Amino acid sequence: MIPLTIISGYLGSGKTTLINQLLREAKNPIGVLVNDFGDLQVDAKLIENKDSLTLSLTNGCVCCNLNEDLGSSLEQMKEKDVEAVVIEASGVALPIKLANYGLTWPGYSLSGILSVVQGESLINLLSDKFVSKTVRAQIEQADQILLNRFQDKDKEILSRLNADYITEKEVKSYWDLIFEEITPVNCFTEQELDQHSTFQSSVLSTDKVINRNRLERYLIKNSSIERAKGWIRDEGGKTWLLQMNKSECNFSISSYETNTRLVFIHTQDLDLNSLDPIYS
Amino acid sequence: MVGVGGSSPLVSTISLNYFFLCYSYLTMIKVYKAKSIITMNPSLPRADAVAVRDGLILETGSVDSMKPWLENNDYEIDEQFKDSIIVPGLIDPHLHPSMAAVLLPTFFITAMEWRFPWGDTPATTSPEDYDKRLKEALTNPTHKDIFITWGHHDLWHGPMSRSRLNKIESNKPIVVWNRSFHELCMNDGALDYLGITEDDVKGASQIDFERGRFFELGLGYAVQKLNPYILDPEIFKEGLLKLKEVVHFGGQTTIADMAVGLFNFDNEFDTQLELYENEDNPFRVELIAHATALIQYAGGSNLEAEKLIAKLPERNTHKLNFRKRVKLFTDGAFFAQVAQLMEPGYIDGHEGEWLSTPEQFEEVARIYWNQGYAIHVHVTGDLGLELALDTLEKLQFEKPRFNHGFTLEHFGLSTPEQVYRLSKLGANVSANAYYVHELSDLYANHTVGSERASSMSRIGSCFREGVTTGLHSDFTMAPAQPLMSMWVAVNRVNEKGNVMSPEERITPQQGLEAITINAARILGLDHEIGTVRAGKKADFTVLNKDPLEIDPMEIKDIEIIATVFEGKVFPINKK
Repeated sequence: MIPLTIISGYLGSGKTTLINQLLREAKNPIGVLVNDFGDLQVDAKLIENKDSLTLSLTNGCVCCNLNEDLGSSLEQMKEKDVEAVVIEASGVALPIKLANYGLTWPGYSLSGILSVVQGESLINLLSDKFVSKTVRAQIEQADQILLNRFQDKDKEILSRLNADYITEKEVKSYWDLIFEEITPVNCFTEQELDQHSTFQSSVLSTDKVINRNRLERYLIKNSSIERAKGWIRDEGGKTWLLQMNKSECNFSISSYETNTRLVFIHTQDLDLNSLDPIYS
Repeated sequence: MVGVGGSSPLVSTISLNYFFLCYSYLTMIKVYKAKSIITMNPSLPRADAVAVRDGLILETGSVDSMKPWLENNDYEIDEQFKDSIIVPGLIDPHLHPSMAAVLLPTFFITAMEWRFPWGDTPATTSPEDYDKRLKEALTNPTHKDIFITWGHHDLWHGPMSRSRLNKIESNKPIVVWNRSFHELCMNDGALDYLGITEDDVKGASQIDFERGRFFELGLGYAVQKLNPYILDPEIFKEGLLKLKEVVHFGGQTTIADMAVGLFNFDNEFDTQLELYENEDNPFRVELIAHATALIQYAGGSNLEAEKLIAKLPERNTHKLNFRKRVKLFTDGAFFAQVAQLMEPGYIDGHEGEWLSTPEQFEEVARIYWNQGYAIHVHVTGDLGLELALDTLEKLQFEKPRFNHGFTLEHFGLSTPEQVYRLSKLGANVSANAYYVHELSDLYANHTVGSERASSMSRIGSCFREGVTTGLHSDFTMAPAQPLMSMWVAVNRVNEKGNVMSPEERITPQQGLEAITINAARILGLDHEIGTVRAGKKADFTVLNKDPLEIDPMEIKDIEIIATVFEGKVFPINKK
């Protein structure tokens, strides 16, 4: 399965800059798909892609664009030896729609949605007559926000939207940010992570199905685990949202179709192999 | 004739005929008599004869009134339409030949009756009848070895599955494409033929391999495998030839391809040129380039794309013409429920879609506005319309223009205030009235509520505000039958039989304007077509009943007897 990441964000937010940064850090070839409707090839040209692959594509639902550009690009990418694929969404794309490709297209798995937000224009965009809802959706649908050119008030706005954000100053590695740290969970806000600064976090991502009861028993038994959050897929193919802290452990049925992705916050080293009993 | 043939044995039959036709048109006046001619010329609304020479109208009136023309010229009185009604040649100012070319080669098995020149597709309304009809049709594959049928609908035809198809036929490849376009189903033969294995599609949540079903993005995967067959050049041609019959059957003498470049610009233009630029073709095609699609030929620059579009008229022929017109888009498709809506939005809270950012839309519109183009903008929701109007207002402030032809295409949802405003800004409206018929009940109950659903395609208000308003089919979104569009706009009866916002109905006179002179104005051709008057092209549509006199509910059932294109009669064969 090739991991697929969606890079979303309004026009001019810095998506292309981010992708160029990513390409500089990449050790192996990655595929980049640029999904834009306007001056699309200009965008594609802006991407300095030496060893990697870049394809431009136009939008359109399958029923009015039988060329199915995105799908055929994903198929082409499969032929190449790429380690991962990122899609640069258009400025007005709803990222969840593109993320569906990661969940449904044969041979791919969704790594997550990262939305780039430019602080300077945030207030105006969120009150814009035409795109306020689009921009809000780009924030709300993201698993991770990258905030640039910002002031403190912009952080407050994102917190109010319950967005999980990281500022450009805090990023150590874009590669890790995209392929290690994002999990399609909206896991923890920065404040929550701050509170847990003495703790460690681990991510479990697997296509094995999980037994809900066994997972619950495991979490209760393992006193090192402070919190856990994420999605699991059970034997019946159902997806459950798990939210666990020291006082409770909640599962709720989720319409989000995904493989199991869990984030654990723990005090002592957590050996992911010790999780074996939770698989069904 | 004999002299010409004798002097040069090399003259081919075609050029001989051509010479003969020109010769006869140049000299011979033909007078068509009719029971009544509805001219749509306000200064002479009715006549009973029209004189034609060389493809042009010489005089409209009576045989008596046109005597000064006839006295010194050869003429012939043609009485074949003496019991019929002649109206100006009908115009569809917005359809998509390339989409039609993809759909028409499939075999239709549908719950609703579809009328086609090659025969009607009867309504098939039960699972048993569906299977029976499919079995009978299978002997003729539609796409090389594959049989593709369109129109399956669970509600009438029952759930579709691989095993159900296998029972009918498991070896020959069958593809059943859903009415919605959003789902298809294959039998074993099709999966084998296209080389789709269980391993290929493992874990894909919108593909149900066991049942052979591909939906939404899974459909994209299947379509990608089917593309070599669906878009095969020979089959595409076959589809365009079928469209030619459909357009004639609908009584149209002018159509507009309102987004050349939807799939592949050169292929679309070249194929239409090959198939439609000939003596036997009963209509002209106005070609409007899809600005965004042209960008890929212009190094990614909108400024360069404009320069390319400016040169397109160099390709013009007699029947195929580019003008100073361009097509832009604001919001998503109306049928797919991704139109951008103002408050209070969709009942279920989902979001519409933009096809470009408002900034990009404005930037592109400014380029074409400043160069003097007539800009046609796809708008479906009221917020999509609002963006087009805000942009037009800005452009009017920066560089005022009159009679500029800025046209709002589709016009799904709007507000009365927007109609007032667009009138003040000088915009035209080209509406898809069929939305009211097919979608208003669904939208009232599930999508936007009754108040807004009732007033979709707010055409009555447009006429009251003096807006130049035309009707189009957007075929394949609605039948390519202008009388059907007129029928919906005049009656506003939906599929459930309810009249939706009777205040937005228009009169039959206005309805006929919308598919003749107003449609001509929308294409900038009102000086040449759209009414029957001296000096215009002799384009007529011949009807068996008077659309302004009969019960308005019968307008859609009027029989079209023939069309006349530039003076040449093209009878419509009854099947």
